[in-house]
Amino acid sequence: MTISLPRYHSAPFVRTSRLARTWAIVRREFVRRARWGTLLAVGISFTAVILTVTFDVEFTSFIGAVTAATYYGPYTSPAWPLLTLIVAATAGAGSIAEDVGSRAITLYATRPIQLVDYLGGKAAACASWIAIAAILPGVVGVLITATLALPSAEVALSALAAFIATGLLTTVFFAGLALALSSLTTRSLYAGAAIFGVVLSLYIGVAVVVGITGSAYVPYASPVTDVLSVAHAAFGVSGTPPTDPGASAALLAGSGVLLTAFAAWRLSRIEVVTE
Amino acid sequence: MAGELLRVDGVSKHFGPVEALSNLTVQFTPGTVGLVGPNGSGKTTLIRLLMGLLTPDSGTLSVLGHDVRQEALVVRERVGYMPEHDCLMPDLSGVGLVALMAQVSGLPKEVAMSRAHEVLEFVGLQEQRYRKIQEYSVGMRQRIKLAQAIVHDPSLCFLDEPTSGLDPRGRQEMLDLIRSLARLGKTSFVLSTHLLPDVEGLVDQVLLLNAGRQLAEGPVERLLGGHEEDNVVRVKGDPAPLVAALAAQGLAPTLHDRDIHVTLVARDARPVFQAAAETGTQIRYLGRSVRTIEDLFLSRVNAVPAAPPR
Repeated sequence: MTISLPRYHSAPFVRTSRLARTWAIVRREFVRRARWGTLLAVGISFTAVILTVTFDVEFTSFIGAVTAATYYGPYTSPAWPLLTLIVAATAGAGSIAEDVGSRAITLYATRPIQLVDYLGGKAAACASWIAIAAILPGVVGVLITATLALPSAEVALSALAAFIATGLLTTVFFAGLALALSSLTTRSLYAGAAIFGVVLSLYIGVAVVVGITGSAYVPYASPVTDVLSVAHAAFGVSGTPPTDPGASAALLAGSGVLLTAFAAWRLSRIEVVTE
Repeated sequence: MAGELLRVDGVSKHFGPVEALSNLTVQFTPGTVGLVGPNGSGKTTLIRLLMGLLTPDSGTLSVLGHDVRQEALVVRERVGYMPEHDCLMPDLSGVGLVALMAQVSGLPKEVAMSRAHEVLEFVGLQEQRYRKIQEYSVGMRQRIKLAQAIVHDPSLCFLDEPTSGLDPRGRQEMLDLIRSLARLGKTSFVLSTHLLPDVEGLVDQVLLLNAGRQLAEGPVERLLGGHEEDNVVRVKGDPAPLVAALAAQGLAPTLHDRDIHVTLVARDARPVFQAAAETGTQIRYLGRSVRTIEDLFLSRVNAVPAAPPR
């Protein structure tokens, strides 16, 4: 048996690019957010959306032609966007707040990365979880029905594009909101509550105000209503959506980008190593 | 490790009305540098400025020959930082944290994991590396902070109060770790501390700070060397008669505690023995005065006018 003293040596290595360093943050953050709340909301989203889609398409295929509008089922109620909201709150609330609260952000700030790399890593991980809840269930639903040969290839592709487009806009907005609110506090619980509070109060508040005033502009203030309007147009559903889908799409994308920029501004203002 | 380690040129930094650093100008060569001063003297502010985490109000800073503002990423690739405060990710294991920080510093994934294991073994956390950091003691947290600071093989490592919160044994072990790393010669260290004994025998250059102002800087040997003619005399009983006798001979002795400090021309000790014989004083020790960094600090603090309250 050989007993050796502790040693420390360093072999030469080639440094990775900034992208690879950011990717390390994405991986770490993605795994870190795989918590019970997130997984439960994702699981419910998958179950509800896939069941709704396959049932609607199966049923429609018996009585008539399946179109892209047949896949609109999951968006006939705000349930799916609200489930996505739960994922945004559980996966995104702690993104920045926990690092600032534990002051672990100091460790990142002293590494050879830029602020945009750190925020990009956080945003990518958060957006990945939201996309898993907002895009993948619809995509899987389309693939299942396509495997069962229920829709034509053209219809399946149209439905796929509609799910991806609507889901992407949902992802951009919710990820931006989660990052912005996470950058405002050092406690993820507060950020999570704020994410819920903002979206739910806008949804309920808008419904109340529209009920009283009948304004055509107020519904734009609710992200959930905007998502439903975009889906309405994306799936080619007949009838009039509550808001103009193009304007709602621009609003969701623009707000998401602005909220992420706000998070970047907040981060740049944080004195990261104070006692 | 020839060349320039740090250069600070006319740097001032204010936080509102508080002057954290005042017109600091200092330069160090590779080695081990002690950044010494009481709490609130500006040590951490200086480290933050050198890491590019803060912007100076005036002046320029360069680390390893690179301008801190213009080449921030290059500097951070070559620098490690062990913060004073707790800044760890409690839900990660020790090896997970160190490997993550290695990857964010630019090490490939496999190299990062391998290096994390080596460094954790070196700092004595090999048994605890898979435990979550939230279960770590203060001493273990200090060690893992050191591990993440050196995992990417930096040329310079800033250690901000590395012995903070440690018991005497833990403190000694931490200092031994730093000493052994310094002996390897690959990495220079800037050791910030308010505990003067921590830097005695460990650093070869020192910057003394007080209230944001530099009191002294340069090689320890030069600063503590004093003058060969400075001597200390210790006697049995009351030293006052001998002090008076030496003063009568025009030697201008000074009394610190029970030590008589006296300057002997050409190291000629005969006047001391003569005065001792005259006063009937028994000399127990006569030798060259050896100063410590603490002596130097106190002498410099007493030499400058008191700074306004911060």
